[in-house]
Amino acid sequence: MNAIILTDRLGAAPLAPAKPILSIEDLNVRFGSVVAIESVSLTVRRGEFVSLLGPSGCGKSTLLKAVAHLVKPTGGRITRPYADLRTSFMFQKPLLLPWRTTLDNVLLPVEIQRGGSTVDAVDRRSALRMLDLVRLSEFADTYPHQLSGGMQQRAALARALMCDPDVLLLDEPFGALDELTRDVLNEEMIRIWQSKETRLSTVLMVTHSIPEAVTMSDRVVVMSIRPARVVEDVPVACARPRAPEDAEAGAIIRRIRAMVRSSR
Amino acid sequence: MMSRTAAPLAFSLILLAAWQAIVMIFHIPEYLLPAPTAIAASVDLALAVSFLVTFIEALMGFLVASALAFAIATLFVRFHTLEEGLFPIAIAIKTTPIVAIAPLLVIWLGTGWWSKIVAAILICFFPVLVNTVKGLKAADLEYRELFETLGASQAQEFRKLRVPYCLPYLFSALKISSSLAVIGAIVGEFVGATQGLGYLIIISSAHLETATLFSAIIAAAFAGIAMFYVISFAEHRLIFWSSGEAE
Repeated sequence: MNAIILTDRLGAAPLAPAKPILSIEDLNVRFGSVVAIESVSLTVRRGEFVSLLGPSGCGKSTLLKAVAHLVKPTGGRITRPYADLRTSFMFQKPLLLPWRTTLDNVLLPVEIQRGGSTVDAVDRRSALRMLDLVRLSEFADTYPHQLSGGMQQRAALARALMCDPDVLLLDEPFGALDELTRDVLNEEMIRIWQSKETRLSTVLMVTHSIPEAVTMSDRVVVMSIRPARVVEDVPVACARPRAPEDAEAGAIIRRIRAMVRSSR
Repeated sequence: MMSRTAAPLAFSLILLAAWQAIVMIFHIPEYLLPAPTAIAASVDLALAVSFLVTFIEALMGFLVASALAFAIATLFVRFHTLEEGLFPIAIAIKTTPIVAIAPLLVIWLGTGWWSKIVAAILICFFPVLVNTVKGLKAADLEYRELFETLGASQAQEFRKLRVPYCLPYLFSALKISSSLAVIGAIVGEFVGATQGLGYLIIISSAHLETATLFSAIIAAAFAGIAMFYVISFAEHRLIFWSSGEAE
């Protein structure tokens, strides 16, 4: 595995390597006779933005779901050194409940945590704050079918943040959106990750877009096709904000593209 | 909006006028085909009482059947073995014509309210059961995964996801069974009753009081339509997010 060079979030001088927040060791997942994931090891450190990059159906989503306990590993371990670590999962689809307003959708995690419908004014205020963070506060009382695809995904992000997570697990969160909306939301994602307004420190994102992975992440973990294995762990140390057209980012994009091609 | 009600209304009036004219011109005897005016004249308190009796029987059967079917559907979804074991029996009940069962119900429950209510229950139960089971299972896997990641209990998932998700399915079944309930009640009355529209239909046809027979038939249709519209109205108020396409 390559050496990990961590930059701080603004792209200034490298920080001392932070503590691991998630450790995946020799993970195996099989569904019947199909091997989805084969001996994947990966460490995510606090403060990192890590992308899992691979072609569709390579098992990278399964890996993310294993981290979220949605899929049971058949071998290996996933350890979380911090006992009180909170993770939040964001799906490719917004999965908003159509009978709830945007605000009530954002409040869903709180309702479930409280085990009743005892949402109070404090919860409402923090839900509104989350909507503000994703720039959707004007649409608090709107129903999902009245929102555009991008706005629905913003609402889903606000809901994911409502769990007050340390780690955000993103499963191609903007993959179903058009490219322009997607670029905007990717930038918003970085802004929210960098902002000090939430507890969120770390992001683990699944994507099949090389430019997206390189412009957003501190590290790009390139995965092979089924069964998913780690081909290479590529650090991206260039300054933020980045664009795929930047010389440095462009070079890394080309390098990863060549890597993906030869691994097939 | 205006033209949507105006056109059918105009055509209905034209048809009624034609009907009236044909009866008058050809001197058709009233026991064969009463004129609309004769049918209107036959509307009386007895008809209103009969309507009310049948409507209440149908409504009671409908409500009991819906509640029962929903409860059993819940159990079916929760305990799969129960579904596997009892579903064939439910289908057997459904395939047996209500007309064939009705005489038995009168023997068991007498000629009063209960034989009609139970007939309505039997006819309403199945569509609601089938659609509710379908609706409670309809929530996509991804939604269930979302609830899992949020740490929801089974009860929370049921209440906050499955039940609202099921509502469009439930309502399309309620619309079907609301009209069926009236049929159940009337069939029950045909077999053995002392009141209600079914009773009125049997008696007036035996006495060749065709005008009364017509008004009873129209009242029966009206009972079904009234039930259907009440459900439709509730559906549109309650399920604003769905176009009601679920079957």
